[in-house]
Amino acid sequence: MSGVLFRVDERLIHGQVVVGWGRRLHPDRIVVVSDDLSRQPVEQDIYRTGLPASIKAVFWNFSEAVDGLPALLDSGKSIIVLTEDLDTMLRLASAAVTIEEVNVGGLFAGEGRTRLLPYVWFDAEDEERVRELEALGVRVVAQDVPTTAPVRLRERVG
Amino acid sequence: MTGRCGVVVAHGRLGEGLLSALTRVAGVQDNLWAVSNDELDTESLMAEIESLLAERGAGREAILFSDLDGGSCCQACRRLLGRDSVRAVFYGVNLPLMIEFVFLQDLPFDQFSAALLTKSRGALGVHS
Repeated sequence: MSGVLFRVDERLIHGQVVVGWGRRLHPDRIVVVSDDLSRQPVEQDIYRTGLPASIKAVFWNFSEAVDGLPALLDSGKSIIVLTEDLDTMLRLASAAVTIEEVNVGGLFAGEGRTRLLPYVWFDAEDEERVRELEALGVRVVAQDVPTTAPVRLRERVG
Repeated sequence: MTGRCGVVVAHGRLGEGLLSALTRVAGVQDNLWAVSNDELDTESLMAEIESLLAERGAGREAILFSDLDGGSCCQACRRLLGRDSVRAVFYGVNLPLMIEFVFLQDLPFDQFSAALLTKSRGALGVHS
């Protein structure tokens, strides 16, 4: 199976992504979209640890992602795009990056957040981002690994 | 009190289970603990490990044991290297590795580290 996965996960590249989704999708490339991490090569190396040689990880700032993703998505390659938050994903979708579905795989407890699932905690802004993504025609589902059932988040946020 | 302590930082209930199994074969250890990343992001997981070491580590050199290299548990451990007396992060943790920790924990670090890796790797095989 190949495909494209857009995933929101505060942990970015980690076991569920590399083992769970990686062995399902066989990605050629992982694209992390983060202005902060794009400037931090040491942190990037930590995230790359444990990646198989067949998967290349790149860390793009937002404007590099807007420029680079369309061609990558058109290439037919299997790709995983990761952001730390829903806001970045919404900005990508608003910038005309074609996203059919966003997978929420890890947003954890924090101030003002309430628990929807063991790995999904939302505050009011997160809920609003889900509504905005859905309004753009993007399905937003929670699914930590491919073997668990996806949960449509629109129905959870009202 | 020995000079080292250890924390197994792993997915799900692996750490807890591993220490339970270790107790069966090597007896109760008062310097080994487990932390799970269930429902925790990386920063919260780091805080949990730091808090455990502050409460129980008593300033001893701490060895962290993680499961998947590159996984979120291992990433949290690596970010703690050099902080709070964390001396090393072993990954790919298994029961043979933990048994060697129990019996070799007082060796000088280089010998300790090499022996743990050699013995735990040597314990992996197949009967067919």
